[in-house]
Amino acid sequence: MGLISENDQETIRKLFDENLAGDVDIVMFTERQSPIIIPGKQPCELCDQTQELLEEVASLSDKLKLTVHEISKAKEEAFALGINRVPAFVCTGAARGRVRFFGIPSGYEFSAMLADLVDVSKGTTELSDETREYLGTLTEDVNIKVFTTPT
Amino acid sequence: MAVESEHVTADVIEAQEFPDLARRYGVRGVPKIIINETTEFVGALPESQYLAQLRAAVESNGGTGVQ
Repeated sequence: MGLISENDQETIRKLFDENLAGDVDIVMFTERQSPIIIPGKQPCELCDQTQELLEEVASLSDKLKLTVHEISKAKEEAFALGINRVPAFVCTGAARGRVRFFGIPSGYEFSAMLADLVDVSKGTTELSDETREYLGTLTEDVNIKVFTTPT
Repeated sequence: MAVESEHVTADVIEAQEFPDLARRYGVRGVPKIIINETTEFVGALPESQYLAQLRAAVESNGGTGVQ
């Protein structure tokens, strides 16, 4: 029994079949669980669970490619993608910008992640013409942080 | 928005897993949105108001990136 129930797997597989346009690369950064407790260093409690969840999601469509990096061994990749915490993952595809997740996408965030995967694969959104037009005029980088909780 | 512009990076941050970030950004309610470290609001706004917040942030010209 995985993290996603069989019923939900079916629903998500159908959602992906009907909506994913192009391939989406999901690049995850994690931290191997150490058997040694290092004072002052918090273990990554949800790294393993996040990886398991992403593996289950990626298995539901051939268009989703998951790569998992141990952050201490992939510092350059992490730096290039602006990742300095774990668990974290970046979704890239037809989208022009970058969508990053820090922490496990559970609860409400899970469905938000599924919707983001679809948008990233399509490279389009349902934003208004006015918003899209404005975004097209941007010449400098913009960072948007959205703080969420699972409930 | 990140899907539509190469200049936009969107970070979804789970506040409970990263309490230091939640503290730094004064997160007391969710969703809390921070644009370019300068503009912030709580709650899901209608798209037109969201766009207004984005314009305000871009005009004030702040920095980027998760620290």
